[in-house]
Amino acid sequence: MNVSKIFRQAAIGRYLSICVLLSVCLLTKAQDGSLTVIGNLKGVPAEMKMAELKSVFMAERQRWNDGTKVTIAMIKSTTPLGKIISQRIYSMSGDEVRGFWAGISFAGKFESPVTFNTVSELENFVSQNPGAIAILDKAPESPEVRTVLIDGKKAF
Amino acid sequence: MIGKRKVASYLALIVLLHFFAITAMAQRTQIRGFIDALTTLQDNKVSFGFGEQDLFITSELNDRLSFLGESVFKYTPSSPTEFSVSIERVIIKYNYYGNHNLLIGKHHTPLNYWNDTYHHGRVFFPTIERPLLFAANIIPLHTTGIGAQGHDLGKLRFGYDLMVGNGLGSNEISDNDKNKSVSMAVHIKPVEKLRLGVSYYYDVISKGADVHERIITWQVNQQLFTGSIAYFGKKFELLAESTLGYNRTDTTGTKQTVASYVYGGFRITEKIIPYFRLDDLHYQDGEIYYIKNNTTSIVGGIRFQINYLAAIKLEYQHIHAEIEGNVDKFTAQFAIGF
Repeated sequence: MNVSKIFRQAAIGRYLSICVLLSVCLLTKAQDGSLTVIGNLKGVPAEMKMAELKSVFMAERQRWNDGTKVTIAMIKSTTPLGKIISQRIYSMSGDEVRGFWAGISFAGKFESPVTFNTVSELENFVSQNPGAIAILDKAPESPEVRTVLIDGKKAF
Repeated sequence: MIGKRKVASYLALIVLLHFFAITAMAQRTQIRGFIDALTTLQDNKVSFGFGEQDLFITSELNDRLSFLGESVFKYTPSSPTEFSVSIERVIIKYNYYGNHNLLIGKHHTPLNYWNDTYHHGRVFFPTIERPLLFAANIIPLHTTGIGAQGHDLGKLRFGYDLMVGNGLGSNEISDNDKNKSVSMAVHIKPVEKLRLGVSYYYDVISKGADVHERIITWQVNQQLFTGSIAYFGKKFELLAESTLGYNRTDTTGTKQTVASYVYGGFRITEKIIPYFRLDDLHYQDGEIYYIKNNTTSIVGGIRFQINYLAAIKLEYQHIHAEIEGNVDKFTAQFAIGF
């Protein structure tokens, strides 16, 4: 009886340790801001260089190679993910990114990105709109979108 | 029989409404407004006022066609209501290939960075007002016509604008003469945040033309050459532009005008930017198209960027002008977008 109790306690201890370890790993991943680029199956290439990605998100490209219009979809820059994207892609704060787009769109140079509150809305939009591209913090769930490799990697 | 026809008509109407509903949903339209409130201290007198109210509409009609409209409501003493509405820009843009577009309508003449980048909403201006060369009408602010535009081409991110328009003296719906204005501008962005550009403008302004509420009594052949450097980095901001204008009439020959300004800003933090601007307008003796008024000005100020659609600017300006003499003024501006 005592032996069985000792074994049970040891098993619970190991289980708890694994849980703690997993939690730490997940937290670390969320904080390092690993990003994934997704695109509609039409227009958006399967692979891009980081410089090309930044160029697209800086409104320097109107059409993909096949002629499909580039449509930029973004999570709102006020969200935690939006803030990470603002820093990693634009080297700006979320507010500066909104100012950047306002300046460009009101000068008549480029249409503002379509913005969303949630990643699922963003993914849904990309799946339904040819030429749409977006950045997420996880692998896409929908088979209707492609993960775009950045410098040969799925996440950066 | 009639009943079946009615049902068919209703069905057709429903299908039609559904089609238009889908079209309307596909069309992305944004409406924005901009305005600024001002307080000035000049000649020991404090004045309060507000600037132009700017109504801004952009719309994507389909994946190649888009529209931009900008209308301004502003104080106009000559109007019976003391206010007037002006259409500042109406641009229909067709993206025909890659980063190449055709534009038709009323444009900001793409001769320098300021006119090409900023609209009438003051919240995006780096200083409270435009540089003096705008108020002195050195360059034509607007052109109604047709143009081609390209941007971010190649490694140097080359851009171009070519525009043919009605020219100075014409109105919004027709040309006052057979002459057409030609604007040509090119720029490169060799490194991030830096833009270098040059432009050329040519127009023949007919005798009798009404330009900026003045009747021109001689035919004027005008050529404008402009160079500009713009750098808006994380810490430093620099914008320097200079226009060399040649106005030729049969009686005075060719007269030269040089209009320049330099703006510099330093970001202490993301939201606090002290800045300065120097302006210089120099006209050759005998100039008759521009109002000859050699002017120098210095502006020193600070911009508080509350957020991207709200900014407070506090500014001191000293102007030394041939006609008005010395002018000193302090201005505070609260500019917003909504």
